[in-house]
Amino acid sequence: MTARIYKVLRSSPIGLFLFFLLSCEPFVNEFSDLSEAQMYTASSLTTVVVNNNPIVMTWNIRFGAARSPFFADSCGDSVILKKEHVEANMDKVAAKIREIDPDIILLQEVDIFSKRSGYVNQVQYLLDNTSMNYGCFASVWQADYIASDGIGRMNMGNAILSKYELSEAERIQLRLRTDQSDLVKYFYLRRNILKVRIPELDLYAVNIHATAFATDDTKQKHIGKYIEVLSEINTAGGRFVTGGDLNSLPPDCDAIDFCEYDMCSGENFHTSEVEPYHKEGSYFDNFPGEPEILQPLYDAYIPAIDSVENNSPEHFTHAPSTSYEHWEKKYDRKLDYLFTNLSGGWVQGTDSTYQSLWELSDHMPVAAALNTERN
Amino acid sequence: MKNLIYIAILSGQLCSAQNWFPHSAVPLPEKRWDVGIFQPFRFGVSEKLEYSLHPLLFFVMPNLSIKLSHKDVGSWSTASRHGFFYPTPLLNMLTHEDKFGVISPEFDPIPRLLGLYSDWLMTGSLSPSTYLTIKTGLSAGISFGYLDERSSIDLPLVYHRLGVFYNKWALRLGVDLTGQIAKKLRFLVDGDAHVLPGFDGDLSLEHKGVLIWDKSEHFRLICGYKFVWGRFPFGTQARILPYIPMIETWVPFIDLQWTGTRI
Repeated sequence: MTARIYKVLRSSPIGLFLFFLLSCEPFVNEFSDLSEAQMYTASSLTTVVVNNNPIVMTWNIRFGAARSPFFADSCGDSVILKKEHVEANMDKVAAKIREIDPDIILLQEVDIFSKRSGYVNQVQYLLDNTSMNYGCFASVWQADYIASDGIGRMNMGNAILSKYELSEAERIQLRLRTDQSDLVKYFYLRRNILKVRIPELDLYAVNIHATAFATDDTKQKHIGKYIEVLSEINTAGGRFVTGGDLNSLPPDCDAIDFCEYDMCSGENFHTSEVEPYHKEGSYFDNFPGEPEILQPLYDAYIPAIDSVENNSPEHFTHAPSTSYEHWEKKYDRKLDYLFTNLSGGWVQGTDSTYQSLWELSDHMPVAAALNTERN
Repeated sequence: MKNLIYIAILSGQLCSAQNWFPHSAVPLPEKRWDVGIFQPFRFGVSEKLEYSLHPLLFFVMPNLSIKLSHKDVGSWSTASRHGFFYPTPLLNMLTHEDKFGVISPEFDPIPRLLGLYSDWLMTGSLSPSTYLTIKTGLSAGISFGYLDERSSIDLPLVYHRLGVFYNKWALRLGVDLTGQIAKKLRFLVDGDAHVLPGFDGDLSLEHKGVLIWDKSEHFRLICGYKFVWGRFPFGTQARILPYIPMIETWVPFIDLQWTGTRI
């Protein structure tokens, strides 16, 4: 569509002028509060029969970096990955998705034509290498160039892939952090909720990747907005499946402070002489009520992994490099969740936290089968 | 802040580094000099020889070119231009972690790089005050060490100019048209192509439009825009420059230029 518009514009003097003006696309996409998500279709569609117990999966795939020592979320100094490494990692991610064979996937940290991941369109790649047919994508971080640490061109976001057609895909902007300078905030992530309708299942899918490193009340705002979006669907009589990387601990979690687990060599925390006191993203009591922030979701909706398992190590989904390198613990907390408001909930015994996929990301996927039959 | 200044210098000077305005095939008269904030310093050594260098950029990216006038071809003046630039110090300054790190520190240090170029220029008069310049040239990029392709700066103007070091060579083509609008007002429009055969992001097309106000014999003000379209590893991109992020707007390009005669 864009190519056709440009063709028409270039064919006349006024068109040429407008073409020049259109070249003033923003350097950094700041997004409106509500916008349309980008839609994708697999190059070759797989024939699908409607499944009354569709398998839903959530996975933060870490932009195909697998366990690479990326500077921003581990203790490494790698920034620009080799394209062939990313493609090899995405091959393995696609293979595991084919093996699990979900009907709906909620993905976080998906890159599209980002310099750090070899300019691979990871949404299209997964559509073309799995049995998923349709996708939608909502940017979290989109800029012509991030002039920091040599990151370069960036387009990272949330995606929902489905075997079934998608419609009414929306990108819902979440509040930005208030603990950053204007310059940093301009070039930083713009978190969102991605919401889409799946007509064949009479279902909404809602995907979120909440803030990870904020030290103010941004996480409270993100989870609050998330609950509001779900409540709107629920109140209107709609059915949904939802989840993502909430970057929050489950209620009644045994531990809330992971600073020492996540500490890199040379770092020091928990001393009054050092700022910050806690490591960003490793402490979960930054505002009143943060340790119990997900309780409203457990109260109102049905989790794929029952709440009695909240402190079970076999359902921990986050596996930072430091936990293993320093403490020989691969998984140390649960940050990824699935919920539904379907009356039938989840099919018993189908829930899984795929910790065996440790090699492919610093987050483990969670999956379960929905019981879509109405009670 | 220092790095922001370096980035601004790089952008402005690279924009004009292979910008041949007012580089027609006619060299400066002997002993005449010409310099601008973003334009190179030029000096007419003789009626047939001119040299130029970018003074602000020279300390971080040493550069020099000479223009040699040749025999006319019909009514067309002809000249060749030959030059070099050494971008390694500037690129190493931009290679660091944290803010304004344009290149990832994992590629530190950038190896010694030497860019060489030669162009052929022909200028003809379309009317008493209107001149057309046609130019073509080749450039070569020599790396005295391993240069990782991932160290490229994938921005308009910069990517295809520094692309010569990854692709080893490039072809340049261009056309300039200058003319008089009023007694002290001139115009220039140009179009240039940078071609890097076989490179991922092999083509850049640039167009500039400026107005030149000759305030006096020794000072002029230039105002205009530059439009660039290019193929990059991520697809195509078009942009009007200069473009100011954060404010998200284009602003006119402004340059101040001085000229004089060495006694």
